[in-house]
Amino acid sequence: MKSFKAYFKKEILESVRTNKYLILFIGIVFWALLDPLMLKLLPLLMKNYLPPDIAVMFSTFTRDTAFQTFLNDLFQIGTLFIAFTLMGLLSNEVSLKKLVFPYSRGANPAGVVLAKYIHYTVTISLFILIAFLTNYFYINRLFTGGILSIEIVLKSSLLYMLYYSVLLSILLYLSSLLKRGIIAGITVLVLGYTLSIFNQFKVVRAYLPNYLLLKAADIGYIFDNSLISTVIISFCIIILLVFFSILRMKKIDVA
Amino acid sequence: MIKVANLRKSYGRLEALKSISFEVEKGSVFGFIGRNGAGKTTTMNILTGLIRFNEGKIFIKGKDFLKNKQELIKSIGYLPETPTFYNYMNAYEYLNFVGEIIGCDLKKSSKSVGKLLETVKLAKQGKRRIGGYSRGMKQRLALAVAFMNSPEILFLDEPASALDPEGRVEMLELIEGLKDDKITIFLSTHILNDAERVCDKICIIDEGKILLTKNLSQLHETYIQPIFDVEFEEDPKNEVDLLKKLSWIESIKENGRRISIYVKDIDYAKSEILKEISKLNTNVTSYQIRKSTLEDIFMRIVSKNEII
Repeated sequence: MKSFKAYFKKEILESVRTNKYLILFIGIVFWALLDPLMLKLLPLLMKNYLPPDIAVMFSTFTRDTAFQTFLNDLFQIGTLFIAFTLMGLLSNEVSLKKLVFPYSRGANPAGVVLAKYIHYTVTISLFILIAFLTNYFYINRLFTGGILSIEIVLKSSLLYMLYYSVLLSILLYLSSLLKRGIIAGITVLVLGYTLSIFNQFKVVRAYLPNYLLLKAADIGYIFDNSLISTVIISFCIIILLVFFSILRMKKIDVA
Repeated sequence: MIKVANLRKSYGRLEALKSISFEVEKGSVFGFIGRNGAGKTTTMNILTGLIRFNEGKIFIKGKDFLKNKQELIKSIGYLPETPTFYNYMNAYEYLNFVGEIIGCDLKKSSKSVGKLLETVKLAKQGKRRIGGYSRGMKQRLALAVAFMNSPEILFLDEPASALDPEGRVEMLELIEGLKDDKITIFLSTHILNDAERVCDKICIIDEGKILLTKNLSQLHETYIQPIFDVEFEEDPKNEVDLLKKLSWIESIKENGRRISIYVKDIDYAKSEILKEISKLNTNVTSYQIRKSTLEDIFMRIVSKNEII
């Protein structure tokens, strides 16, 4: 618990001083603001350049479709920001020998790993909540139509929070295994994007975490029975990978 | 206090430690000396629990280190050769961070942090970010980290390597002070004068093997043979070759116009050396017999790599 507390405070300080909060905030929340504005302004700015059928498509955007566009952009760009900002979560600590003093003074690896995981899970979840609420606010101001409600937005945000918690556990584990954070970041990115392909296959998609994203965009039917297995598997992945990260950090040579 | 038996450590095919054994008594200063890459830092990293080892046994305070690592590590302080910190923190923040890991009372800790920074002469720079510190300042801060919570055993890896002459003297005085406080110190250094000044026992390691472990006084007794220092007017290259051929000369260390002659039979050397020098076709500007220093002993042992 001592190591957990010390490292949780250290992660907060580090995120403030190295601008990690700012980068993650931009990567997640910025699109919530920019997306609806772009969707609204693009047809006006491009009206003389766009073919008539495309211009019609822009004008038919409802609140639901605007929200779905935001979800899609958040997944594509948010994942990029998260993977590259947090890719050195454990590998940097080991390769830069930052753990020499803490370990030599009795730091508990479980506390170190849990503090990092919980801190960034809470941070990303909080930014996702802010992003979804901001997006909902702007969509309501700029678009009409559709059935989008605050309840739908909150449900959808919960699935995104869970998805990024899974992704973060993968990043954490890879970061404990690999010496170079960049490899962990790229692997997570490739994994995140390629797993979305399986959303086209009904037989397997419910067993993969990317199904959470598909259901988050399924406005009106977000929470249904098909999510049960996905949620269970997602939690299992998190628990297993965090556990394996702790084991790895217990056995690793830090000097 | 520390007992190491048949310790082995390999990095792939490279055998860094080849079954080393030694003991460190409580309250003593144990000098661990050796060339770069001899295995000093590897040994220290193992004894502070930072890296694993392949074979062997370590006992600290009579307890098996592997089985009681978390408990024993609380009584250890470590100053690595190249300390690394979170550069965005300042010294106060870093010491409080370590204090929290150790489990110090935070209210007491903040007072002791101030005292520690005063001890290592960093109180004025305590609020500056560590990233802006010089190497010497980082070494002082590392010393403060090692001192936190008054450890019973201190591992110091080249503690004076980044310090200026004044800082080096202060460091030695500090070590002497700690010795009076009955703190066991495991000191790795390549500054042999420093080791000679503060250590009770010397252990020489080379290529992962312990070549010698002896009390400093025993060491001087064993290697009491004096050294003949001769200085010539000109570079004595050819003359040295002639001297090396003499059977009673063990080795000759050359240093420009000055040579140090190590002999096998001191009495014979005393009577013969001047005669032999006079036969050489060069002028001598100085001649003296001096006692072996730790540096001489070290050079003699390591160059032969003989087990004593």
